[in-house]
Amino acid sequence: MALIKKTVSAPPEEHRHSARDLSGLLEQLRSDKPDIRRWAALDLSEHSEAAEILCRCLEEEQNMAVRDALFTSLIRINNNAAVKGLIPLLKSEDAALRNGVIEALRQMPDALAPYMQDMLHDPDSDVRIFTVNVLESLCHPMTPEWLLGVIEEDTHINVCATAVDLLAEVGSPEMIASIDALPGRFANDPFLRFAADIAIRRIRGANPN
Amino acid sequence: MHGQPEPVITNEEFLKFREYFYRKTGIYFEESKRYFVDKRILERMAKTGVDSFHAYFMNLRFEASGRELQTLINAMTVNETYFFREDYQFRCMVRSMLPELTAYRAAKRPIKIWSIPSSSGEEPYSIAIWLLEYWPQVDEWDIEIVASDIDTKILDLAREGRYGTRSLQNLPPNLLRKYFKPVGNQEHQIIEDLRGSVEFTQVNLSDRATTRQYRGFDIIFCRNLLIYFDDISRREAAEVFFGALNPGGFICLGHSESMSRISSLFTVRKFPEAIVYQKPL
Amino acid sequence: MKQILVIDDAATVRLYVRQVLEAEGFYVDEATNGLEGLEKALSHHFDLVLCDVNMPVMDGYTTVTKFRQERTLAHIPIVMISTEAKKKDANRAFAAGANDYLVKPVNPDKLILEVRMLTGEG
Repeated sequence: MALIKKTVSAPPEEHRHSARDLSGLLEQLRSDKPDIRRWAALDLSEHSEAAEILCRCLEEEQNMAVRDALFTSLIRINNNAAVKGLIPLLKSEDAALRNGVIEALRQMPDALAPYMQDMLHDPDSDVRIFTVNVLESLCHPMTPEWLLGVIEEDTHINVCATAVDLLAEVGSPEMIASIDALPGRFANDPFLRFAADIAIRRIRGANPN
Repeated sequence: MHGQPEPVITNEEFLKFREYFYRKTGIYFEESKRYFVDKRILERMAKTGVDSFHAYFMNLRFEASGRELQTLINAMTVNETYFFREDYQFRCMVRSMLPELTAYRAAKRPIKIWSIPSSSGEEPYSIAIWLLEYWPQVDEWDIEIVASDIDTKILDLAREGRYGTRSLQNLPPNLLRKYFKPVGNQEHQIIEDLRGSVEFTQVNLSDRATTRQYRGFDIIFCRNLLIYFDDISRREAAEVFFGALNPGGFICLGHSESMSRISSLFTVRKFPEAIVYQKPL
Repeated sequence: MKQILVIDDAATVRLYVRQVLEAEGFYVDEATNGLEGLEKALSHHFDLVLCDVNMPVMDGYTTVTKFRQERTLAHIPIVMISTEAKKKDANRAFAAGANDYLVKPVNPDKLILEVRMLTGEG
């Protein structure tokens, strides 16, 4: 039979010379071999003090697998330094990087919450849209209120459109008046009217009375 | 005194739930599943002591631990294992993946296949039988099959390889005769040769010290497991598989699972038999 | 019937495009991000793809690039629909291989016209 049984053991190259302590890993993070950078990035998930450096590496890293590993470790570390390092990357020109940041921030509700108001009032409407994108899956009880603030105050139609889409899922009956008034602020744009009606219907459906 | 009215789930609530559940799991409920879905949600509402869908849904949506979502996914899915389950992927392995993997392989490096979770062994033994029966080149290559599970008790059962009729119902009778022997009590045991060909190991996918030893695989079967993980664990599992696969290696997920909920580390590959994911060359 | 795939993470956007285009006699299917869209397109024929830019797992630019690299999908017209109105964003879309670039919110008449034009229906 061609089926053979082998015991799983560490491959020889795994007995690495460089240590997996913090300084060893940080050194490997600068290696010119993507595979070494990737393993180092993943191993750094056990060192929360590395968050700032991991964020800085994200800006320069061009290898997608290494970038993914950097994000994975930052999500695992999930501290203030990670959030603080990730937020500025929402302004990046690189759509893949930005979306990675959005996905990562979604998984850090508690560390992110203190920054939310500032992000929702960023002068750049793109950053405000991305912030609302973060709220899509953020497990934080303030989410509906943050979204309500957006549709009541934000002056950019696409920021509001993104927010009202989410209110269809997390809105509650006392928000219906604000949602209904939203399209009026933007010359009754047909899409916004449609989105508002859907949200109202979904919220009413949740509370037949 | 009148009791509370029975809670109901309205049409709009169903739509809201369906959208959310699809986004989180990739499982989409057709209208025809409405009764089944409502029933499961109402059961969970009763168990968690919540009497309105709105309150239950808000808890589900905002619970940071994601525990209720995991419980609900368990209630909405049937996780059973039997021989030749989802066998279109085994067909894909012998007709498409292995021919591609071996086409330009100069040295006779062994082909390594990882089955996780192994559960009670039905999947790794099915892989072994498919290779022996349906891959014409099987004798030209050395093949290693590693099967892992987090649960050591179930691994003991897998090593023993005794199965009842339920596990064996999809197996063609000639293969049952060829690879099993009756052991009484309507049970059959995998023959010694085959049991000896699968290496069973205990693996916790979130334990990096263990998973880093899993390298050089060509095909990974990880079916109907990641759907039960939370977002970060799923992401870390994808990293483990990326590290474990050779460039060009393949990963097969369960039929309702998709890498599009997890990671873009892998390339989608459409073969005539199945859609699988590939580590870029 | 011409088959349209709309890739967008916002449920309301997908529903809106579906309603607008179904009323015009198009068949519409949906995907919530680029990778899911790629998977759907690999297993089902589409005449046109409408693709958002900012999405989880796989963004719009990467998605268009992947479509163009895939032998069986390379010829499908793709319209990117984005919230970003700057000229450089449109240029990036064309560089990735998009056939056109529209800025949200898209006027329904304009959307119908665009879809008709690129599918040869009208």
